[in-house]
Amino acid sequence: MLSDPFLAFALGCAAIAVVLLVWYLAVRPPLTRATKLVLLFGIGLLPIGTAANGNVAGYHATKTRVFCSSCHVMTPFGDDSGNPSSTSLAARHGRNEAFGDENCYTCHADYGMFGTITTKLGGMRHVYEYALHFHQLTVDEALPRIHIRTPFPNATCIRCHSTEAPGWRRIGDHKSLLDRLRAGTVSCASDGCHGPAHPFARVAHIRAEQAEAAAAAATAGAAK
Amino acid sequence: MTRLLQVSAVLTLLGLALMVWSMVAPTPMPVILAMSVGQLLGTLAFGMFGYAVLVDQVRKQRVKGVAAAARRAAARHAAAGSGAAGSGAAGSGAAGSGAAGSTAVSSGGTASAAAGAAAVQPDGEASS
Repeated sequence: MLSDPFLAFALGCAAIAVVLLVWYLAVRPPLTRATKLVLLFGIGLLPIGTAANGNVAGYHATKTRVFCSSCHVMTPFGDDSGNPSSTSLAARHGRNEAFGDENCYTCHADYGMFGTITTKLGGMRHVYEYALHFHQLTVDEALPRIHIRTPFPNATCIRCHSTEAPGWRRIGDHKSLLDRLRAGTVSCASDGCHGPAHPFARVAHIRAEQAEAAAAAATAGAAK
Repeated sequence: MTRLLQVSAVLTLLGLALMVWSMVAPTPMPVILAMSVGQLLGTLAFGMFGYAVLVDQVRKQRVKGVAAAARRAAARHAAAGSGAAGSGAAGSGAAGSGAAGSTAVSSGGTASAAAGAAAVQPDGEASS
């Protein structure tokens, strides 16, 4: 944990600030210039150091797969993408060193100048949804209901797969769909192409749809 | 002010606790709490500290100002007294000469000690 320099600095600042403040509260010295200086460090400078470095450390922490899977309904997604024997698109990317432990964030982060901000705002929506709608559900109950809010943008894939490499262009489907792939009208993750990145979730959706259709048919049959 | 600073110190400790919790257990709830409530508490505590120090400083300046004014007034009084006493010691025995001496020393404005003023004042009073 202390290998992260931001984290180590933040914890160090916090520890010194706590010592100074506990000393002030325990000893209750008169408000001299020395006391003010001690409090300036204990209430001001050191906590600011903790907050600033803690924010950076927290920001790094929010990009990790462990963080994403810390909500129980996300556990299967994290487990699959970190599984070395899984053949899903997410797991194959997760095994790539460029993605590593931050593979959720790397694929789901928005692209562009304000991508980080919009991604974090989207993350707050996840927290809201989890707290109000998914917190009480079991994983099996939640899985059919979890879906990506907007279709996965091809721009995210094109960040690495530039569509310019000769090897990529040699593939017939890529060549024939080049304009539509770049325009985003055909998704890289569509069923006929690479398929969904988390196939078990797609299976859960299909099963839920089938069960719903069967229930509707049964209700219609009973009404007749 | 001491009470304010104690509250400020406690708020800082609470804020720091939230921040450290988010670093030790980086899951969504601690991170969100640290980045919102923790920082709010820290900012509030620092504001309270700043306010307490400012009020203390203003109070000290005011006390210093009052003391300086008192010293100046005492010095003026002392100067007036010594002028009057001087004229009395010259043995003129006239009230008018004491008043003239007082005016002469006041305009010079050289005397400064309050203690001196206290020592001289009875003479001045006696001479007038």
